Amino acid sequence: MTTQVQTLGATRTNERLGAVVLAAFFGLGLVFMAGFAPAQALHNAAHDFRHTQNFPCH
Amino acid sequence: MILRLLSAALAAGFLAAVVATGLQVALTSPLIIEAERYESGTAHSAALPLVPARFEGALLHLAHGGESHDHGAPAWQPGEGLPRILFTGLATLVGGVGYALLLGAVMLALGRDPTPERALAFAVAGFVSVGLAPALGLPPELPGSEAAPLATRQAWWLMTALATGMGLYLIAIRRAAVTILGGLVLIVAPHIAGAPEVAAAKSELPAGLAAQFAARSLAVGFVFWAVIGLSFGWAWQVFGRERPARA
Repeated sequence: MTTQVQTLGATRTNERLGAVVLAAFFGLGLVFMAGFAPAQALHNAAHDFRHTQNFPCH
Repeated sequence: MILRLLSAALAAGFLAAVVATGLQVALTSPLIIEAERYESGTAHSAALPLVPARFEGALLHLAHGGESHDHGAPAWQPGEGLPRILFTGLATLVGGVGYALLLGAVMLALGRDPTPERALAFAVAGFVSVGLAPALGLPPELPGSEAAPLATRQAWWLMTALATGMGLYLIAIRRAAVTILGGLVLIVAPHIAGAPEVAAAKSELPAGLAAQFAARSLAVGFVFWAVIGLSFGWAWQVFGRERPARA
């Protein structure tokens, strides 16, 4: 019983770690794309959003 | 848990983008378009092909750090009116989902179950980190009022956001005397080091327009984050109820 609970706990922790890493990775990627990506087309598309959300722009 | 986090972040990012896009279209985009008119010196309100005309040569290269750049062909940009609004909305959606994912990642990493109240508190900290603190050194700018090179400003922005976020964590979550002191130092340090200079910037823009934009931009940013926080907490609870076994 104890072993089972511990295994479950470990799985939970691993699952949480995986979720945190994945979400942080995707989150940083999306914020970079919307706020920082230097490609002209991306910059122009996100232009007004960048200005409003106070990302340094041009 | 991964699915729950991704779905909650998508829902929160979407709701926040709907609200923030509406606010942007009503409050800040008209000021940006107005500023572009001053920037170009005409009533023409196209956004970016005008930038190379204004920042000739060296400054442009600095500002776009090493990127190979074809000055001959103007880069793609969304058309005026509806396309521009749609792309602003799309960018807001991408940014909103990104921020919501980061919010969720931080809350889970710290072992905080996201309820709407708790997520709102974290979202306010997020706004302070990426909105308010960088704005102290680099006030929200209208097109045509930029000063220091882009890469420098982006570096200072990132450093300030990270230092402020870490400082808030040390103060609000660790809560020991030493960490509170360290947190205060972290929060204050970027401002003592100083943002890339903006004081010397000269601009044709009326000061009132710039001031109004700065204030509105911070207000929109705050609402954006508040909606992200509230709806992330709400969605996290709702998706957890539907899949209790995976929670």
